[in-house]
Amino acid sequence: MDDAGWSYPARSRVKASEDEADVEAVLAGEIEAFERIVRRWQGPLVNLAWRFCRDRARAEEMAQEAFLRAYRALNRWRKDAAFSTWLFALATNLYRTELRRIPAWTVPLGEAAEARDPRPIDGGLEDQDRASAVRSAMLALPSKYREVLILFYFHDMDVGATARSLNLPEGTVKARLSRGREILRRKLPHWLGAPHMKEA
Amino acid sequence: MQDDDLDRVLSREEDIVPSSGFAGNVMDAVRSQASAPPPIPFPWGRSIPGLAAALGLLLVVAVRFGSGSEAPAGNAALLVKALEAATTFGVGWIALALFASFVSVALSMRLAGGRR
Repeated sequence: MDDAGWSYPARSRVKASEDEADVEAVLAGEIEAFERIVRRWQGPLVNLAWRFCRDRARAEEMAQEAFLRAYRALNRWRKDAAFSTWLFALATNLYRTELRRIPAWTVPLGEAAEARDPRPIDGGLEDQDRASAVRSAMLALPSKYREVLILFYFHDMDVGATARSLNLPEGTVKARLSRGREILRRKLPHWLGAPHMKEA
Repeated sequence: MQDDDLDRVLSREEDIVPSSGFAGNVMDAVRSQASAPPPIPFPWGRSIPGLAAALGLLLVVAVRFGSGSEAPAGNAALLVKALEAATTFGVGWIALALFASFVSVALSMRLAGGRR
């Protein structure tokens, strides 16, 4: 199965009926139907974990635990929301708990920003440096802002999906997004005057 | 940095592909969990007589301490009685044992949680 280039919102729309059929099959005793769920959602769940911890092995460990918990709690999915919404909320909750228990390695926020002279030397390198600086600074944010930013960009900038995954009101998500971005802008002042990145 | 810049950088996150054995590993864990015997439920049925007896005893003690006083019991007298009862039943030792158990469990969990 090709997991590259998946898009969470698109996939969740297409796969909703398949998810429901597979969940019913698992609940009826056909354990192997769960493998179809795992193969369908392994990419998104591992990538979400990766964005939380930036450690591939740990991301797979956390995603595996999320699937196991989903398997155990499958009969608690009430179908009032899409299976993917339920799965992402469960995984997000687990990842947040795990990261609070054993935090990901991050540089302190003050050091994360502006690690080097950002003046352009080479266009490609500048883009990479900028992306790297922004991601480092984001990972060093206080958890409540970091989690919202991670989920917001993971869900293709969908505030509603972010709020559902985090079980927060949309207003709170918007406020934390705004505050998180503000902190990032303050911590990355040298990039402010830099020319816009080239479109991919 | 403007929001647009932030959006561009953070939206263009590189994706990782799960390792080839990932789904297999998950299914192995699921199968082993499915084949494991279900956890033994707490024997509520058997514990009810014991719990009822304990509750009854507690009520009897409370009634005796509450109504058995010859002199009108003020707050100070009640406190003295409570202290006497505590001494009789060795409450201090029980409290010390509970505290030691709590510290021991907390320390074990902390040590186990820190190692991974």
